[in-house]
Amino acid sequence: MKKMIFVVAALLLGAMVVGAVDNAHPFGFPGKTPMDDFFLADALPNRSTENIVTAIVFDYRGFDTIGEAAVLFTALCAISVLFREGGRKR
Amino acid sequence: MNPLSVVVRTGCDLFAWFMVVFGVNVLVHGYMTPGGGFQGGAIIATFTAFLLVAYGGRKLLGWANEKIFDLFEEVGLLAFFFLAFMGFPVTFFYNYLVKPLAAGGVVPPAGTTALMSIAVGLEVSGALSMVILTMYRGIRMFETAPMEEEIGHDR
Amino acid sequence: MTNALHISVLAVMLIAAFFALWFKDLISSVISLAVFSLMMALEFYILQAPDVAIAEAAIGAALSTTIYIIALRACRRSKSEGGRKQ
Repeated sequence: MKKMIFVVAALLLGAMVVGAVDNAHPFGFPGKTPMDDFFLADALPNRSTENIVTAIVFDYRGFDTIGEAAVLFTALCAISVLFREGGRKR
Repeated sequence: MNPLSVVVRTGCDLFAWFMVVFGVNVLVHGYMTPGGGFQGGAIIATFTAFLLVAYGGRKLLGWANEKIFDLFEEVGLLAFFFLAFMGFPVTFFYNYLVKPLAAGGVVPPAGTTALMSIAVGLEVSGALSMVILTMYRGIRMFETAPMEEEIGHDR
Repeated sequence: MTNALHISVLAVMLIAAFFALWFKDLISSVISLAVFSLMMALEFYILQAPDVAIAEAAIGAALSTTIYIIALRACRRSKSEGGRKQ
């Protein structure tokens, strides 16, 4: 019974994935492009950055990079707490 | 982890420092070629992993001073926040150092994008190296009894 | 031409992902995950995203493999002692 539910769920999930991939935009033709056009036109003359990915990561969306740094710092803190010395004394 | 054979150690001697140089190259040229802070920092942290695999953890813990990696991480994070807060008269994360593309100078024309890439590279390299070192030192806690001889793959 | 390249890379990725689940030996499983990450970096490079390809090759193929192997050594050590008796 449980296995039947798993099989049905797997088939359903597979069908949904196939449908989603079938409806995706073809490669190189995104759906809505005003933001992309703005970044591509603005990054080189106004920000002097040739690599537009870096311009987006550190300049236009710099606030999100704080989140990424915070995630890494949190992971480091968690690992130091988990593996600290003297933690297993009884 | 015991040290591997002499072939692996000689390869490590030859290639490990070039890995650091390549990581720094990816990091400081992040504003104009593919790469950036996170990628360069990850390549530099691979150096620590390579030393751990090739020379064994006991030697690596003798060589590496963890306070340096800790300092890297804190200095990178603080420089990142400082660069972000300096643009506060306009907006948070305002690119106040940007120059026209042909202008010269010490700071690249991309301004804070290049400097933040270096800061994030320092932070990521320190953090990932600290993760590897701390995990290795942590699993040595379980070795209270003297270990039996390891069955290595090449010796 | 491009389609053949895509299909071959994706087929190797599928095989590596299958063997990562199939192997009983955990070290072999981790190595096939590393192969999966390497092929994924190649696929990102073919899809013209070199930034993501560099990050995937450094993180997925090198660092996460090392971290998995360190974790595996810790697990195997305490298992071979038959639990911690104190």
